[in-house]
Amino acid sequence: MPEPASASIELSGVSLSYGAHRVLDGLALRVDRGMIYALLGGNGAGKSTTLSVLLGFAKPDAGAVRVAGLDPVAKADAARQRIAYLPENVALYEHLTAIENADYLLALSGEPKPREAIVGAFGAAGLQERAWDQQLGGFSKGMRQKVAIAVALLREVPVLLLDEPTSGLDPRATADFNGLLAAVRERGTAVLMVTHDLMSAVDVADRIGFIDAGRIVDEVAAEGAERFDLRALHDRFANDVAAA
Amino acid sequence: MSPTLLIARDELRLMRRNRVAVIAFVLLVLLTLTAAVTAWSHQQGIADLRQRHQTAADSAFDAQPNRHPHRVVHYGTFIFRPLGPLAAFDPGVDAFTGNSMFLEGHRQNTANFGDVRQSSLLIRFGQLTPAFVLQAVAPLLLIFLGYGAIARERERGTLRPLMLQGASRGQIVAGKLGGLGLVALLAGLPAMLGFVLIAGQPGAQVEPMAVIALGYGVYLALWAVLILLVSALVKRSRDALLALLALWAVLVVLLPRIAPDMAGAAVPLDNRLQTDIAVARDLRTMGGSHNPDDPHFARFKQAVLERYGVGRIEDLPVNYKGLLGMEGERLTSELFNRYAAESYDAQERQNGTVRAIGVLSPAMALRAMSMAAAGTDFAGHRRFLEQAEAYRYDLIQRLNRLQANAVIYADDTAQDPDADRRKRVAADYWQAMPDFTFRQPDGLTLAAAALPSLGVLILWLIAAGGGLLFATRRLGAR
Repeated sequence: MPEPASASIELSGVSLSYGAHRVLDGLALRVDRGMIYALLGGNGAGKSTTLSVLLGFAKPDAGAVRVAGLDPVAKADAARQRIAYLPENVALYEHLTAIENADYLLALSGEPKPREAIVGAFGAAGLQERAWDQQLGGFSKGMRQKVAIAVALLREVPVLLLDEPTSGLDPRATADFNGLLAAVRERGTAVLMVTHDLMSAVDVADRIGFIDAGRIVDEVAAEGAERFDLRALHDRFANDVAAA
Repeated sequence: MSPTLLIARDELRLMRRNRVAVIAFVLLVLLTLTAAVTAWSHQQGIADLRQRHQTAADSAFDAQPNRHPHRVVHYGTFIFRPLGPLAAFDPGVDAFTGNSMFLEGHRQNTANFGDVRQSSLLIRFGQLTPAFVLQAVAPLLLIFLGYGAIARERERGTLRPLMLQGASRGQIVAGKLGGLGLVALLAGLPAMLGFVLIAGQPGAQVEPMAVIALGYGVYLALWAVLILLVSALVKRSRDALLALLALWAVLVVLLPRIAPDMAGAAVPLDNRLQTDIAVARDLRTMGGSHNPDDPHFARFKQAVLERYGVGRIEDLPVNYKGLLGMEGERLTSELFNRYAAESYDAQERQNGTVRAIGVLSPAMALRAMSMAAAGTDFAGHRRFLEQAEAYRYDLIQRLNRLQANAVIYADDTAQDPDADRRKRVAADYWQAMPDFTFRQPDGLTLAAAALPSLGVLILWLIAAGGGLLFATRRLGAR
């Protein structure tokens, strides 16, 4: 009998309110090592709050949260050492070059890397060589994202959290990004991707969860060569968004 | 390298790559160096000038011919306040108060010839001294360099990613503080170079210099903490800049400007004309030694006769007119001293009001500390006036005593053609009179006078540090 995969991300019965507004309501989800989980939902469904809880920036009123086996609120610094996070708008330092950004962020995380390793990751992320030593002032969103994903790759952390990663990317860049995610999964990293992009989720995710009013209302796992029934998912997602 | 050092290094790298910041910093350094050099040169010029004037005044006094001592009482002499070496760093009130006095009998003159009365109006806006640059300009530079230290990270969305790289809230704030603190230190260095010049001068005192260096260090550290505090509390860099500029305007410009006006309104002080009129009125009521019916001088005469056991002033072994001069000088000096004491008291109460308001402004506390340690505050000016009056009184009474002992009463009252020659005493006497020497307090006394204001600065730093700790705990929260 195969050993069950260990959960790198686990939320059970998580509730959280801001004043009278209940944002998470008994949320439960689990992402195992080497799994890409796409969390889909309409605006205000609780997607971003879920990420805040996992990052330790929001404390749940009830329930249990574990990231790489740690409580991200009680052990925030230790948990964050095990997380790479890509926000929707990748925030990097414009006064630094791409390499300096990576060097600075990796040094901060206690995992400094030589220039060769950094440019290697840039190459893997598809960042053109001429951009490596340029300050980020003129970078497009896609280029910034490649820098950030390269840093995440170099950190070799067990958990990767993505917030709308393909928003604003052209189809080619989206395809490149999905290819990178597949590579990350191969390394055993647990990836939680919060997104509106159903096509991208279908393309790369192993499991898709639908969140509405702060709880998972449906969950679908990839199966067979077709992976997902796209039409059924589309209808389901459209209904959720319309309801929101 | 620790996250704190990495963040501090990046903060400095950001400033280094900001052309405006680099130019502003270079300008501040040049301004401070210029201030140090010009203030030093100005102070040396003043010291030389006052020394020359003092030597000339002493020579003129000593060069008087044989003459009646009372003519010397009216001839008088000039004295000049010498400046201590630290006046080059902070001239304090010296430019505004007089720095020379004419000393004569029967009158207690005020100090004259403050620089503001002899220079252009520009000097009223503050001399370019290292103290002024550090008190007013350096905080402004720190504000422009540091206002966005944390607000910028929040505004651009890099704060949370920074924390997610493993940097704790405390490390982020400590790193930013370290970067800005290093800039503050570098900004203060040129002024401290002036200290090196001062330290080599005769009369330089270690204790006040140490207090001044500590005080300015605390002041610049306080601004670095205040800047970080505001930057951590507000959401946008622009808001942080506006809030900090408003804070600077209130603490460095507004409060120091209105505090003296408030003190003046709370404790009115008679002007010179009012005081002169009041003194003249009291002198009239005091009576005169030439009036045979004046009851005080009648009693004085009787007491003198009894003390010497004679029945007439002509039989006294000393010149009664000299004794009369001593008594008259004693009485008028008492009157002058009473008015001076009332004036000092009013000015002390005004200064007390300014000090109380100064608790609200670290710039005012620093100014008070700096002037007190440099010996250029009101207390230093008062020391000069009191020592000058003590010297004047002693000089005049020596001359009156000389008249009593060296001029025979009969000659003093004679009207014959040769009487004037007989009334004169030898010029050696004037040359033997002691010259005025201003005594600065010792270093420990000056340093101790600066400690209360240093305490206010430290309290400000503790309060701002507490605020920054509070803001640090909230950093990155929703």
